Amino acid sequence: MKLGSGVLVRYVLLALANALGVYALMVLGDLGMWKGFAAVLAGTLAVDVVYATKRFIPMKYLLPGLVLLLVYQVYVVLYTGAVALTNSSEFNQGTEDRAVSVILAQNELRVPDSPQYRLTVLDKDGRLAFLVTDPDGDVFVGTSEQPLEETDDATLDDTGKAIGLEGYTTLPYAELVGPRSKEITSYRVPFSDDPTAGSLKTQDGSNAYVYKPAARYDAAAGTITRDGVTYTADDDTGYFVSPEGDRLTPGWKVNVGFDNFTRILTNKEIRGPFLAILVWTIVFAAVTVLGTFALGLLTAIVLNDPRMRFRRWYRSLLLMPYAIPAIISAGVFKGMLNTQFGFVNDVLLFGAHLDWLGDPWLAKVSLVLVNLWLGYPYMFLVSTGALQAIPSDVVEAATVDGASAWNVFRFIKLPFILVATAPLLIASYAFNFNNYTLVAALTNGGPPMTSADVSAGHTDILITFVYELAFGGEQAQYGFASAISILIFVFVGAISVLGFRQTRRFEEMS
Amino acid sequence: MRWFKQTGWRHLYGVALLVVALFPIVFILSASLNPTGSVSDTNNLFSSFSLKNYRDLFTDPQNPFLDWFVNTQVLAVGTAVITVFLGAMAAFAFSRYRFRGRDSGLTGLLLVQMFPQLLAYIALFLLLSSIGEAFPVLGLGSRLGLMFVYLGGALGVNTWLLKGFFDTVPRDLDESATIDGASHAQVFFRIMLPLVTPILVVVGLLSYVSTMGELVLARILLGDDVTKQTMAVGLFGFISEQFSKNWGVFAAGAILGALPLVILFQFLQRYIVGGLLAGSVKG
Amino acid sequence: MRRTSVKATTRAVALLATVGLLATGCGSGADDDKPAEKTAGGESSAPAASGTLTVWADETRTPIVNEIGQQFTDDKGVKVKVVQKDFGTLKDEFTTQAPSGKGPDILIGAHDWIGGLVESGGIAPVELGDKAGELQDVAVDAFTYNGQTYGLPYAVENIALIRNTDLAPQAPKSWDDMVATGKKLVDQKKAKLPIAIQQDPTNGDPYHLFPLQQSFGSSIFATSPEGGYDASKLTIGDEHGIAFAKWLSQAAKNDVVNPSVSYDIATGEFAKGNVPYIITGPWALAPFDEAKINYSVEEIPSPGGEPAVPFVGVQGFMVSAHSKNPVAANDFVLNYLGTEESQQKLFEVGGRPSAMTSVFEQSKDDPIYKGFGEVGAAGVPQPNIPAMDAVWAEWGKTEMAIIKGGDPVKLWKNMTKKIQKTING
Repeated sequence: MKLGSGVLVRYVLLALANALGVYALMVLGDLGMWKGFAAVLAGTLAVDVVYATKRFIPMKYLLPGLVLLLVYQVYVVLYTGAVALTNSSEFNQGTEDRAVSVILAQNELRVPDSPQYRLTVLDKDGRLAFLVTDPDGDVFVGTSEQPLEETDDATLDDTGKAIGLEGYTTLPYAELVGPRSKEITSYRVPFSDDPTAGSLKTQDGSNAYVYKPAARYDAAAGTITRDGVTYTADDDTGYFVSPEGDRLTPGWKVNVGFDNFTRILTNKEIRGPFLAILVWTIVFAAVTVLGTFALGLLTAIVLNDPRMRFRRWYRSLLLMPYAIPAIISAGVFKGMLNTQFGFVNDVLLFGAHLDWLGDPWLAKVSLVLVNLWLGYPYMFLVSTGALQAIPSDVVEAATVDGASAWNVFRFIKLPFILVATAPLLIASYAFNFNNYTLVAALTNGGPPMTSADVSAGHTDILITFVYELAFGGEQAQYGFASAISILIFVFVGAISVLGFRQTRRFEEMS
Repeated sequence: MRWFKQTGWRHLYGVALLVVALFPIVFILSASLNPTGSVSDTNNLFSSFSLKNYRDLFTDPQNPFLDWFVNTQVLAVGTAVITVFLGAMAAFAFSRYRFRGRDSGLTGLLLVQMFPQLLAYIALFLLLSSIGEAFPVLGLGSRLGLMFVYLGGALGVNTWLLKGFFDTVPRDLDESATIDGASHAQVFFRIMLPLVTPILVVVGLLSYVSTMGELVLARILLGDDVTKQTMAVGLFGFISEQFSKNWGVFAAGAILGALPLVILFQFLQRYIVGGLLAGSVKG
Repeated sequence: MRRTSVKATTRAVALLATVGLLATGCGSGADDDKPAEKTAGGESSAPAASGTLTVWADETRTPIVNEIGQQFTDDKGVKVKVVQKDFGTLKDEFTTQAPSGKGPDILIGAHDWIGGLVESGGIAPVELGDKAGELQDVAVDAFTYNGQTYGLPYAVENIALIRNTDLAPQAPKSWDDMVATGKKLVDQKKAKLPIAIQQDPTNGDPYHLFPLQQSFGSSIFATSPEGGYDASKLTIGDEHGIAFAKWLSQAAKNDVVNPSVSYDIATGEFAKGNVPYIITGPWALAPFDEAKINYSVEEIPSPGGEPAVPFVGVQGFMVSAHSKNPVAANDFVLNYLGTEESQQKLFEVGGRPSAMTSVFEQSKDDPIYKGFGEVGAAGVPQPNIPAMDAVWAEWGKTEMAIIKGGDPVKLWKNMTKKIQKTING
């Protein structure tokens, strides 16, 4: 009976999934999004294979989460990996063609002191013409092939602006801003027969000015010439480069192989403060995890006595630090730790002048203490849950056998909790290893290491230090930052897998 | 004295920790009651009392706090419930079945979440932008789309935590049920889930809080409509300008935003530390 | 609203958001016209269906831009959609989203973003034409990069000296005179601090110290012959810079510059009447008015001999180089946002001296705007070249180290070296 309804539910869901899948495939096929098509097809087939048969029982439980994981998380990793192999940066985003058109547009300069012409855009058989009125009220007309020439046949409005010409249609505004918008802004009307006199161009469709290109592009040679200097397209760096090494911006995106990785690994400046920063990062993450776990677990145990009144209130209120956005807590702590006016020095320490955020050691202490405050509720919550999983019969048996409370904790409860929470501790370690937000908000890596050749501070952790290298300069370097992400990931991952092996051993022992 | 030995010292500890935990929040409360308040000027506790910041939260149509609040709750509760469900399913598979790729799968789940996420939002922006061209309901500017992104993290460390608890449920329990003719789905829904309620609630709360506080993805993926924003994104707008930082309103919003968690936890605690479960596990 | 805000203090968030756009990863396909765009517009000349302009504006200016946009729609048939964005993260969002075609046609922005946005190809030149003559020179200069203008400025902001006229009734005759008055008030227990110059305890605050630095003849970059700054010539480390560093060290020992005086403390104490002088900008005035402090706005006395002029920040509207409708975008910016009426509205809502000369002149009846405006008119635009991004963080941290008693000459030289390295990449 129950079996019957279960099967029914299964097939209804399966049919629904297939219907959705087919619908999605139709939409994607229609739009020609073939990568998405392949992904959805694979997903739908996987659903059918897993749920329509009696086999693959574990997969039945894993598939939904796994699909989401692949689409939204693994994708990010792969994407970052792909970017790491490029020169992608703020100035190197698009294609070479786009770089050329942007450079040319930026180097088309208005002829100084040339007048502002009032413009009417005309159309003749689908081809544009500019009808302009100069400040003296003289009217000219011209096209891209036919340089400006004066005309007396134009219709004028009250202000003396020419608004129409025999044989041409005046383009209404709706046409100017419609699909022809780009055609109009890229249209040029030579000022005279002399090609060096420049040409008229408009941006807003109602005014035109005389411009001269300061840069010229030679598509065959792949060069741009500006002010007598020739810049050659360099596909290794993705820039137009002059013989002196000057670059035109923007550049474009090119693949650079493992250049970003070698740049990190061979950078002398990074090597200087690297060891000190790495050690501090490891210490910071370890102390944070141990500290928050110890405090969280202790609190969970202390509040776990059913005889205690108001337990629920204690627990709820102790979670508050977890529910407040870290950015505002960090602001409060920054104020409380102010050297002269802060609450800590001024009130708690009776007017001491400890430089909590400016002294290399105190800044480290402050960082850890603030992180303890921010992080213990998480461990408290997890430990409170974990305590419930301890089989009470084992505890009772030990107590009956005369074990002291401490020994019960040390030899029964703690191993149990550790096994249950070890993966969380490792994850928390990895999180704090990369706890960019807290360090940036509280100390911003400061105080600075004056001995270093590169911007580095005493509370910088690895990720704040290297991201400053990737983002702190003239432009954000995404390719470089991605390579850094991957290296840090490999490093943290290796530590975690090692830590994991230990836990496994621990798990088997207990 | 007996009272102190049994529970009195616990109160002492609890009160001491409460003072430390809540003290910085008192400053936030104070700032929220001060119309020109700042949070780092800690000399001025409760120097003025005005509900202006709270009033502003609810009366400014450009900053619809109520919409943000509702969006956030829907998003956070929805994400939490589905996360718990997906995580529990995965944990059940890992705990009760032995299959190829099980160990590496478990390790992989943990590792993928350790990837530094600083550039993730660019990748996800582009992903949702493409998805949205075909399926706007999952694309940019869609709250459902954002929820799916959060659900990408439903497995991972949660699965580990849950698996640890599934492992503590004696195998005899489900084995005997199977012998009695229960399907694996019945074992999962009828036997396992009720027995691990405490950890389901904990995982749900963890997910709830992390969704509630998430700022970067929500800002970039939820798009342009101010009424679709989450609380974190909306509130952050009050302080993102260096010199016109509106800490007072931010503080008021932060306090109001924290209340649901406190209330939720007050209510859900009995599922975490309920006595009724211990007995049945023993059975 | 200036770059340092992103750079120094909320770097966390900014970086998380600092982004970029690898949008080409998405392929050139993303740059193709979207289906929606293809069908819109069409052949008919009905003025109603001519597409949409998207404008990104900050919270303060969103309603005004909406209002002016409505006018544009009524006149021209082009819809204007105004999207409210956080000013602090607007630039980064633009950098991420614009290349994928999801960005706006027009964005509000600060002039010091321009170098970066131009070099990344994000914004297009905007020819101001005769309008340039109606705007303050300092504003147009700030929006000029490599000889082109890249937007329409609407507001100018800068810091100045704010004096509590009850505590210090006389305008200071010199820097030393000011310090002496301040110290006397502290000795008499009428004030807690002689002067408040805000500092972040870790990041320093080079922006608020810059007028003092400039009074020693120091600059960050040399100016290039075409006007504008030359990123290849870093001048911060010259003898003028060193002279300022030495002075800063003395000033800190003398309690004139105090590392504990954060923005909140500085403005909080001034609002309580505990400080006779503060160096700050128009954004900080509301609490002073609320506390009914009597104050005046005037130029900062010079400790170094040359005029102590501040950096000037200019805000304006820029046009995206990715806009699919450049004609309407330019038309709206130049001929609608650029009218005197619009500039007047933007001034009224923003509370900063207007970039348009006529509007600014009218506001001069108010001594506050007059004070800030006159100090600003003498100021120099904050550099808008992207190399400036490499300067802020190290500059501020070094000044803080000097304030805390470090060796000024050694630290300053070390800083110069590091900044040069960062610029060279």
